[in-house]
Amino acid sequence: MYGRTACQLVKEFASGDEGQLVSFNSDLFQQVVAECSQHHLELQSLIRKIQEEGLDIQTARNADHYGALIHHLALVRNKRCLMAYVYNRAETIRNLVWKIGHVLPQEIEEKLCHAEEEHFRKHSTALKSYMSKVLVDLTVDMVPPKDPYIKVRVLDDIGDGILLSDDKTANFACHSMHLLKRTDAEQFISRGQMEELTG
Amino acid sequence: MASSSGAEGASLDDYDSLIATTDVELLKRAWRNEKAAPEILRFEFHLISRVKEQIQLMEETVEEKSSGGNNPLSVSLYQMDLDRTLFLLRSYLRIRIQKIEKYMFHILKTEELWNRLSKDEKDFARTCTGDLNRHLEETVLSKLPENYQSVLKQSVISEEDDMVPEPELDTFVLCRSKEYLTGIQLEDGPADDRSKLFEMEPGVLHFICYKSIKALVESGKIDLL
Repeated sequence: MYGRTACQLVKEFASGDEGQLVSFNSDLFQQVVAECSQHHLELQSLIRKIQEEGLDIQTARNADHYGALIHHLALVRNKRCLMAYVYNRAETIRNLVWKIGHVLPQEIEEKLCHAEEEHFRKHSTALKSYMSKVLVDLTVDMVPPKDPYIKVRVLDDIGDGILLSDDKTANFACHSMHLLKRTDAEQFISRGQMEELTG
Repeated sequence: MASSSGAEGASLDDYDSLIATTDVELLKRAWRNEKAAPEILRFEFHLISRVKEQIQLMEETVEEKSSGGNNPLSVSLYQMDLDRTLFLLRSYLRIRIQKIEKYMFHILKTEELWNRLSKDEKDFARTCTGDLNRHLEETVLSKLPENYQSVLKQSVISEEDDMVPEPELDTFVLCRSKEYLTGIQLEDGPADDRSKLFEMEPGVLHFICYKSIKALVESGKIDLL
């Protein structure tokens, strides 16, 4: 049936958790694109047929006209599905900049197609250029601050000699605990290298 | 007795109104409105540049106090105040950028919305739209038949742009009026209710369709929560 593959593609995206990505389904994607070309060929041949019969394409209301219309509508629907798939994935990808920063971890990068990686890079650059113009870093301070300092535990061996904003360096050995400025700690927390200790 | 309590009340009122017009408080209002409104609001250009100057001043104060061997508690209080203001500023700019990310095609082609952006936001929106356009073209549109390659239209026979996501202006928002307002036309509800005009007392909370009070939010008469 026309449009079923495209519907599968959209369902695949919609059934995933919000903000989570699955691998780009290029197989299904290609199938829908091929379906579009097929619709277009049939649409054109029907239009040609109407013209050969000497009928006016604007006013003819015969079987061929409605056949052509079905192909046109199926094509438009497929386009909407393809666009929705790519557009919504792109939106999720752009949101990753806010959630995990400008560098994508390996396991997420594997799920993107080449063009999507490119889009992420370009968007991250655009955002950086905006932030450098307004002189404010927007990727820190995601939650309202209660205390300028927070207690954190290091989960990953980040190493020593990390420069903090008060010009002191710290040694973030694995499992060590620190009292840090929230703005200093936030970047490590979003990358999963530290956890905040509450209570 | 009565006169003294009256004076006290007046001075409290003065204090309240003084506090309510500091730039941080104004920023908080702008931030709340921006956060609650479904569409992007006018960029508070003068307010933001004043706040930025104040943040710089506060940073200098903190620096001075902490190097001057002052009481660490007072330094940390200054720092906390600074952090809160910085958070407001960051969050305000961030919400706007995220709205631009979400509705860039719509903002770019609607002049009224476009003029609400700051210069830097315009640059950002332009770059972003270009990037997304290229991305969509590369992955989908270039593979489709010729008449179906527009980003904004489903096909060449669409008369208007019918593929542009727009913000939902029918959503409900919580709001509070600062003064007595009357003659608000409700845009929702049963058709015969719509002709009735709605009034708002100052300080009373209302849960109302954003579309009906859109103009009042824009003119600053109503605050969103």
